Amino acid sequence: MKTKNIMYWVFIAPVLAALLIVVVVPFIWGIYYSLTEWSGDMAQTPVFTGFDNYKSLMSDPTFLSALWFTFKYAIVTVIIINVVGFSLALIVTSYIKSKNLLRTIFFMPNLIGGLILGFIWQFIFTNIFNALGDAMGVEMLQGWLATPATGFWGLVILHVWQMAGYIMIIYIAYLQSIPDELLEAADMDGASYFQKLKNVVMPLVAPAFTVSMFLTLSGAFKIYDQNLSLTGGGPGGTTKMIAMDIVDTAFAMNTMGLAQAKAVIFFIIVAILSLTQVYYNKKKEVEL
Amino acid sequence: MKRSKWSYAFLLALILVLGACGNSGDAGGSVSGDGEEGGDGESVTIDLYQFKVEFKEQFESLVAQYEEENPNVTINVETVGGGNDYGATLKSKIASGNEPDIFNIGGPQDYEDHKDRIAPIEDSAAVDAALEGTLDAVTVDDQVYGIPYNLEGYGLIYNKGIFEEAGINPDELTTMEDLQTAVDTLDGMKEELGLDAVFAFPGKERWVYGNHSSSSFLAPEFNDSVIEAFESDTVEFEHSEELKNYIDMQVNYSEQPVLSLDYSQQVEALYSMEKVAMIQQGNWAYPSIEQIAPEVAENSGIIPIPVAGESKMPVGVPQYWVVNSGAEDNVQQAAVDFLDYMYTSDAGKEIVLNDFNFIPAYEDYDTSQISDPLSQEIYEYSEEGNTSGWVFLGYPTGFAEETFGDNVQQYISGDITWEEAIDNSKAYWEENR
Repeated sequence: MKTKNIMYWVFIAPVLAALLIVVVVPFIWGIYYSLTEWSGDMAQTPVFTGFDNYKSLMSDPTFLSALWFTFKYAIVTVIIINVVGFSLALIVTSYIKSKNLLRTIFFMPNLIGGLILGFIWQFIFTNIFNALGDAMGVEMLQGWLATPATGFWGLVILHVWQMAGYIMIIYIAYLQSIPDELLEAADMDGASYFQKLKNVVMPLVAPAFTVSMFLTLSGAFKIYDQNLSLTGGGPGGTTKMIAMDIVDTAFAMNTMGLAQAKAVIFFIIVAILSLTQVYYNKKKEVEL
Repeated sequence: MKRSKWSYAFLLALILVLGACGNSGDAGGSVSGDGEEGGDGESVTIDLYQFKVEFKEQFESLVAQYEEENPNVTINVETVGGGNDYGATLKSKIASGNEPDIFNIGGPQDYEDHKDRIAPIEDSAAVDAALEGTLDAVTVDDQVYGIPYNLEGYGLIYNKGIFEEAGINPDELTTMEDLQTAVDTLDGMKEELGLDAVFAFPGKERWVYGNHSSSSFLAPEFNDSVIEAFESDTVEFEHSEELKNYIDMQVNYSEQPVLSLDYSQQVEALYSMEKVAMIQQGNWAYPSIEQIAPEVAENSGIIPIPVAGESKMPVGVPQYWVVNSGAEDNVQQAAVDFLDYMYTSDAGKEIVLNDFNFIPAYEDYDTSQISDPLSQEIYEYSEEGNTSGWVFLGYPTGFAEETFGDNVQQYISGDITWEEAIDNSKAYWEENR
């Protein structure tokens, strides 16, 4: 039983100070701004309006549309990224040649910045897909990013491509920590590959699911730079996600107070979803 | 013993905190106080944030030349534009506490948004030389607050060779019906003329139709006055039907799909490569076209968008340079001096005409040196007085792109009717005035 003495607090103080200054104070300040009418101009004084911003949000079609779009997007990308990431992890931890090279290759997309990724994929979707579609007579490859549906799937493909490698690394770490004896014992009992996967590997890798789903869920909700560079929220604002709606509300529409209210609601939603997801996943984890 | 331990701990914490705080002092301001050898005055640094990508390199050359002639002045140029939303990025830059010393505003609405940080301009040679009418949009209570960039005009840029081959006389396209006839002719001859389509409609660039197209059709109801537009509580869209026909024409006869078509594709990949006959843009597009295909650029012309049976070129000042009133006095003065140099010195005039390809908004320019064909034609319309005003710079904030632009995109994709798009836009205008 260790008693925290004064020196503990002395050493932790700089980190706490940084956290307080950079996270806690802006957060509280932001909550205050969400109760004001303010253009975001530092030279103007915010006017306190209570919960007016929150009331108007309930009927703001742009915000509700962005919320719904982001929600759909998060569900799809969380599922696909984790399936792809786990599959890649199984591949590169098996006994195949060049698995080390493959690890590097699959992880590389994660090193590219969001804006650049958006422009790269924009070029792929609007030029390469179009050229292939023309050459092969496949109509489905033509007109990408010109419709809400192709905008949605374009964003999904981009994000999966970017994040799958990163999530793969997390799964690899847990897969490699599974004791060989358990797998060998299963082999001795005549278990098939999928039986081993279902009954031995996945229960033991459950903590990785918790971590990965948390990262992909909160990450999907917070996407902005890929949204900006790939679709710009278009066509017609139909692929605008919450983060982009908040930025536009703040800086294009000059309504910082309203944007801050959107941000607070956004925070509450992401916090609830993340905590709920972690809670349920934790219950599935197995202790050795 | 106990007290000694507490004192030691407190002292350690204090040292850590003070040490951390001390580092932030090194950031300093944008003005370096130290004098410089050989300079005729105090050393100043000007941060300039501007919106025009087309002349970025030429502008930076001018800046380098100015810095060479004025060693005590350092100018940091940052350029954001070409389809990106300059206004929004400017606001986020300002909100981050990183205010530029010189920035751009478009007109009365931008002035209203930023008036707390815009300095009145006194004793400026450029302001004295500005052409009649060019300062109206940035004059409040008889005080001038901005310096015009240049004059620009927009309309339908067309390929003269293609028009000639199709037997179309561009001077006769003075009504929407005439334009439709010409478009039908061109469409029927696409294969012979080597065209993919008649138009390239950049559906992704909301500013093209949100600002420019809408302005042409709204100018009549505001009597060509940006101030009238700014002061109006409502917008009627009296020429809504014609605007609809104009947009429909471009969309239906355009390279497809239109909603993902951007500026680069429109101007460079399609128009410059002679895959389309016409595009709606202005003389600012000339440098981009020339870089891709100089012979196409030389053989380009521009005609106004016909509105209500009239064919007037919308000529206006796209943006004004303004000086930040929050900058130190010597920085403000240096900023005005630089802008005066750009527009009124002999060296600056030469660059403005021949490198920037600008149509000057100032007197005492040898306008026979306006070299590119688009600018020449626009200047001729301007000389004849056959022009209309740019009213979009008086629109409510967020009207052009986020509201009208988004609604047009939804209309084009078939999600809403034209009447709904117009009603939404009217409602937005009224709510924000």
